[in-house]
Amino acid sequence: MKTMNPVWRGLALLLAGGISGYFIGLGLDTLVSKQVNFTAPLAGLFSLLGAVTAFFFGLVGYHGVTRGLVFQTIGTLIGGFFVTGIRALMGLETFGNFFFTEPAWVFGALVGTLSFLAGVGALTDWFKWALGESTPEHHEDEPGWKKYFQLSLDHKVIGVQYTVTSIAVLGFGGIFALIFRTELAASQLQFLTTTFQAFDQNGLQFYNTLMSLHGMLMIVSILLGIAGVMNYLIPLLIGAQDMAFPRLNAFSFWIAVPAAVLLLSALFLGGFDTGWTGYPPLSTRSPLGVQMFFLGVFVAGWSSILGALNLIASVVRMRARGMTAFRMPIFAWAAIATSIIALTATQLIGLSFQLVMFQRLLGMGFFDPAKGGNPVLFQHLFWFYSHPAVYVFVLPGLGVISELLPVFVRKPLFGYRWIAMSSLGIALVGFLVWAHHMFTSGMNEYLRVPFMYSTLLVAVPTGVKFFSWVATLWQGKISTPTPMLFVLGGIIVFLMGGLSGPPNATVSTDLHLHDTYFIVGHFHDTMFGGYIFPFFAALYYWFPKATGRRMSEKLGKLHFWLMTPSFLVLTFAMMRVGLLGMRRRIADYDPALGFDLSHLIMTVAAYLIFTSVVIFLYNFFHSMKYGEKAEGNVWESRSPEWQVPSPMPVHNYQHAFQVVGEPYDYGLPGSKYVEFMKSQEGKG
Amino acid sequence: MRHFVVVAILVIALSTLTYSGLMAANLLPAQASEQALPVDWLFNLQFITISFLFSLIVVPLLYSLIVFRRKKGESGDGVHIEGNTPLEITWTAIPLVIVMGFAYLGAYSLGETRRIDPQAMVVNVTAQQFAWTFEYPETGVVSDVLYLPKDKQVLLKMTSRDVIHSFWVPEFRIKQDILPGRTTEYRITPTLEGDYRLRCAELCGSNHAYMLANVKVVSRADFDAWMAARAEEARAAADTPEGRGKTLVTQNGCLGCHSLDGSRGTGPTWLGLYGSSVPLSDGSTVTADDAFIKESILQPQAKYVAGYETIQMPVYTFTDEQIADIIAFIETLK
Amino acid sequence: MAHNKQSALQQGLIIFIFLAVLTALEFFIAIAMDAIALLILVALVKAGLVVYYYMHIYRLSSDDEENPESYRYKTGTNRLGLWLFLLSDAFVFGGLAVARFNLLGLTRPHLSQELGLLVTAVLLISSFFMNRAEVSMEHGDRKGFLVSTGITLALGLAFLAGVVGVEWPGAIREGVTPAGSAAGAIFFMMTGMHAFHVLTGVIFLLVILRNGARGLYSAEKHWGVEAATVYWHFVDVVWIFFYPALYLIGAVIVG
Repeated sequence: MKTMNPVWRGLALLLAGGISGYFIGLGLDTLVSKQVNFTAPLAGLFSLLGAVTAFFFGLVGYHGVTRGLVFQTIGTLIGGFFVTGIRALMGLETFGNFFFTEPAWVFGALVGTLSFLAGVGALTDWFKWALGESTPEHHEDEPGWKKYFQLSLDHKVIGVQYTVTSIAVLGFGGIFALIFRTELAASQLQFLTTTFQAFDQNGLQFYNTLMSLHGMLMIVSILLGIAGVMNYLIPLLIGAQDMAFPRLNAFSFWIAVPAAVLLLSALFLGGFDTGWTGYPPLSTRSPLGVQMFFLGVFVAGWSSILGALNLIASVVRMRARGMTAFRMPIFAWAAIATSIIALTATQLIGLSFQLVMFQRLLGMGFFDPAKGGNPVLFQHLFWFYSHPAVYVFVLPGLGVISELLPVFVRKPLFGYRWIAMSSLGIALVGFLVWAHHMFTSGMNEYLRVPFMYSTLLVAVPTGVKFFSWVATLWQGKISTPTPMLFVLGGIIVFLMGGLSGPPNATVSTDLHLHDTYFIVGHFHDTMFGGYIFPFFAALYYWFPKATGRRMSEKLGKLHFWLMTPSFLVLTFAMMRVGLLGMRRRIADYDPALGFDLSHLIMTVAAYLIFTSVVIFLYNFFHSMKYGEKAEGNVWESRSPEWQVPSPMPVHNYQHAFQVVGEPYDYGLPGSKYVEFMKSQEGKG
Repeated sequence: MRHFVVVAILVIALSTLTYSGLMAANLLPAQASEQALPVDWLFNLQFITISFLFSLIVVPLLYSLIVFRRKKGESGDGVHIEGNTPLEITWTAIPLVIVMGFAYLGAYSLGETRRIDPQAMVVNVTAQQFAWTFEYPETGVVSDVLYLPKDKQVLLKMTSRDVIHSFWVPEFRIKQDILPGRTTEYRITPTLEGDYRLRCAELCGSNHAYMLANVKVVSRADFDAWMAARAEEARAAADTPEGRGKTLVTQNGCLGCHSLDGSRGTGPTWLGLYGSSVPLSDGSTVTADDAFIKESILQPQAKYVAGYETIQMPVYTFTDEQIADIIAFIETLK
Repeated sequence: MAHNKQSALQQGLIIFIFLAVLTALEFFIAIAMDAIALLILVALVKAGLVVYYYMHIYRLSSDDEENPESYRYKTGTNRLGLWLFLLSDAFVFGGLAVARFNLLGLTRPHLSQELGLLVTAVLLISSFFMNRAEVSMEHGDRKGFLVSTGITLALGLAFLAGVVGVEWPGAIREGVTPAGSAAGAIFFMMTGMHAFHVLTGVIFLLVILRNGARGLYSAEKHWGVEAATVYWHFVDVVWIFFYPALYLIGAVIVG
């Protein structure tokens, strides 16, 4: 066993862990319910936990993430039994359908999250400081790939950890989508029927759970992905050795792992039927899974908030000499605008979910009309975050587009200052539009028109970006390797998203479009155009910087040409059926509507997109070891990180640089952006 | 300069092509209400603008990819242009004016959809998981089908028994959420006779997809006839237990889940239920007698019929007399 | 600002007197008239005083330190980090305030005015001593720091006892319960979230008290003390807004 290739060892143990976890969970469930249920929630949950923990154990042994997961499991049990014990003393029901009662699960999950962090070592240094002990400023990571599974303070390692975790979460979200897209391919229920049973849910309930989790897992994947790209790049782009708060950085990553576990556990603990938006009163009466959903999001929110804090502090305080505001790489502006939103607005989704959690646990009637509560209040609090959130999702990607265009067009970024300001403009105006998600909600009538005005206003700074990008391309010398293909694809797809915005922003047309597939098409376009495409562009582009090798151009082009037309077809079909009357979040639709063909096309497109991502994944992991060597300035970029060899040295820049010119002066002979200083002047 | 002319021509061409394509695709359902007119007018304007803006970006982008492509073996950079302030101001100011214009038109069209007819006929709508009930206060008629007279404004006063639902008939266009503990209003003037489907448009639980009702827009005369017949039926029904029972189950949304014709719905069918042998989820069987039916109404979670374990039936509070009437009605369904 | 210890302590006292007078003022305004705008204005002035003089927000921009490796520069970065954290946390309390006004409008639950004023006074006095503690540390007075921090800690615990131990049971007796009405729910959530932050503040104070007693801080290097201090005052600022929101603004809900 010891001499096996760790990946095979991990997979073998995954199987073993999954199976043993299943039987342990099944046993516990049988004990409590007195009957054997092969799709018992606990069996599924323990199977997942067992599989994942055993996999990592096989891969890296009892360190880092493995230790974290073991601690999380134990911590959850301790917390759960603690509350169960108190309930027993109070004469309340001790066990329920899902082994623990809901309060026990919630407290257990919380303790489990903290335990995970303790187990992975993310709290150790801070505890030491509290006890008055000092700790070394830098932790050296062990060489090789194992460091990626353990606590590291190096922003580059953390960036990779974020990115790979993001892709894993994306995988789960994508698989869930494929399952329900398969059901939707034809009208009437094919397999998610009322007689289908899994983890205490029938087919329709399971559909709702898959659909709801698809949404939130994709959102978490995006938050992790942007964190990955920003954490990896920002110190390199501003000339810093690391982020302002490396331990906070590690904490921000590691807290996202138990959050993902909580979200996935919702699938097994009865699921939930509210969509990612979690509106009460429905969420007040949803099964237990909704609490895992709420808590998972709450915990993931901390990752986003603290990561944003770190980014702002880093960009403000750690820039290289001579890097004035308008001589920063444009991506730094995108990161700042994103982080302003993420730092502040995220608290509101935490608050709104917290209030529903307490309404469920203690009967506090915030949103219960019978107690004087107001369901629409939830929507205000929720959307106050969740609208700006979408700008968090796309601003970094739009920043990547702006960052990469000049390199492949060999021309300055047209209107740099306006593009920089447009990111801030989108962020600021983005705070003022939230109630456009509530036009039909029954909120105060007079609010609808002002929010329509503010929403349409966002089109202006967004338009500035589009026009500037086109002007950047104009009269350039354009080459189109894979990163550039994804940049261009991103522009076109985001354009579709942007153009499908105004019908939603306008109240009267939105009254027809709200809660239909038109909306679904709109946000898939904006999310793919603003995040997915630029995310892939960034991965293909900076892969050589991180690894010293190139990804395969051929497979990259295949990925692009498979994904892009499929995706455009998918979203056109969505918008078409939405206009014609297809509601969203439904497992089945009336054959008389004539949507069957459109849905079949959508499902085929979804499978093609999934295939293209699988091709990407193969390319990504295979090229890490076998890709063509690429140790120099592969793209002939002026940016500082490309002026040093690849892979990036551990401490980034051996000699500090200072900024002596504009970042994007391609085409200006003799111009330089950065100049590296002699060792006496800079940091060693 | 030549480039600009070519691009301009292509933009116009693609805009026209795109707009024609959108029109040919027939992307909107039939217009069946007065309120649909301003909405569709605005959709049309949006389609035109979208076609134009789409072309405005895509044409120069693709044009550049072709004309300004780096040729094989070619080195060197593009033209060093950092910006153009007058241009940037223009492409900020003009979109600003356009979006503000659209917002104004949007407010105008919204106003058009909300014109009030003081003589509007009121219908009370009750939404629940997963059924609709319609009550006509003028006559007291309760129906599970929404009958509407053509060319008359109707004011729907809507409330929910449980969670948030939403009223939507795509052909009518307008949508309005329905809340518990509150009444929301919805005004519509149907203009096209026909059969439509009302579909709940706010996720309300596992059977949201099936929360549907029939909507029939008929002539004034037909509507009056229907109303008179239903009122007479209600009067007659009040005389017999099974008649009263049928009114009760219509009024309380039971028929949204329990079919009368043997088809499987959210809940078990009532056809042939009375006196039959019912298999339960725990493997046992019971006879569907009075006691069982009464228990199923007042404490639905006490026993689950096999195959319906995961459905949450709402808890109802009826008097013993009402329950007796309901049972009498169910008994008639053989 | 003040350069020697005596004048710094004196300034702290003057600010406290202002805060006390303003608190008495808002209490009497609330009794005498229906002047919501005035109450909000008073709260803003009180908050401004604390944010400027006790939390010394101006230090965010006063950094003239060039060397990014120096302790002073790193402390400046830490300071920015702390304020960003407080900005974020403020959004939670802002959201709760919005919820309160959405649910209750211009009504408020029936609570004990005496108790409300008492706990408010306790918290304000604790900020006074927190400021004294920080000033002492800035001037190398370890003993003064320990005494003042200890008093702050005690007052913090007294606040918690007053709210959780006395006010909560009292409210429940009055019929203001978490599960009874939206008014009860929002009262308990607001005071509960605030109390949670007071509790974490108390833990933070225990840490700096212990480390201070072991001589880990000096006049030049005491970032932990500054951080705990600024956090403590932040929690006070939240109460500066929550107190009128729960106790003073609006008409009491009868029945």
